[in-house]
Amino acid sequence: MLVDFELIKRAQKGESAAFNEIVLAYRKRILGTITRLIARPEDVEDVAQEVFLRLYFSLDQLRTAEVFEPWLHRLTVNAAYDYLRKQRRRQEFRMSDLSEQQVMLADAAAGGKVEHDEQYRKKIRESVQSLLGAVSEADRILLMLKEVEGLSLKELEKIYKVNENALKVRLFRARQRVLKAYGSAAAKEGAGQGR
Amino acid sequence: MNSMRGRDDERLDALFRAYRDACPTPEPSANFMPNLWQRIESRQSFTFSFQRMANAFVTAAVALSIALGVYMSIPRSNPNSYSQSYLEALADANTLDTPEYVSPVRLELSAPGR
Repeated sequence: MLVDFELIKRAQKGESAAFNEIVLAYRKRILGTITRLIARPEDVEDVAQEVFLRLYFSLDQLRTAEVFEPWLHRLTVNAAYDYLRKQRRRQEFRMSDLSEQQVMLADAAAGGKVEHDEQYRKKIRESVQSLLGAVSEADRILLMLKEVEGLSLKELEKIYKVNENALKVRLFRARQRVLKAYGSAAAKEGAGQGR
Repeated sequence: MNSMRGRDDERLDALFRAYRDACPTPEPSANFMPNLWQRIESRQSFTFSFQRMANAFVTAAVALSIALGVYMSIPRSNPNSYSQSYLEALADANTLDTPEYVSPVRLELSAPGR
């Protein structure tokens, strides 16, 4: 834990300086997680502020120090989920959006053959976002937390308050859907090259 | 088939790793904290004004209920209006000053030849 419970208690009593310290301690971690969950650099700070806003108004509900981090993660997941749902309404991510070039870049990324310039990063982000369009926003976040953030099943269990087996099943299904989408995109690319 | 599946799995893992590298943690801007506090304060003022509005609404509703209760408990100015039966009220409305309906009929009994 990056802060001690005394600091949280002070923040619960309404001490602004204590709340500032909590934000400063967790800000970078939250920004990183949100960046990978939503993949839109221009909106990351806005969503992170929403997380800390929710933290501020719900801090008095926190009873024990152990649950603070899973709880903050949960707030992050919820804020990212709300953002993604709004985004989904604005713009659908479809597998058909995955261009041949993106598939090629994704394959190249797997082999580590292409230099990591900004353009390339953007393409990778777009490729993964397109693939994640095959699953719901909730599954997408779960998959990201496991596969990209590297959270363990135990940690996910604390965040989602769901037992490990249920999480495993959900993760497996989500991964299968993404794999299927990846396979179709690769097959489409193969057919395109064959012509 | 299994080897194909395994290869796709590996490629997907590699893609996720590449994705992680492609999404570096951004540095927070200088306005992060001021903007956050601005949002907190605006949410607080919204909550406060909403509470004030809700309180005002409840107060107005209570005042209206009391006024209505007082109004209903005041006795009517014409106490007879509800003590009369329907027939009595009908009789009052149709008094004897309407002779065309209630006055006796006069019969001319003299013979025409007299």
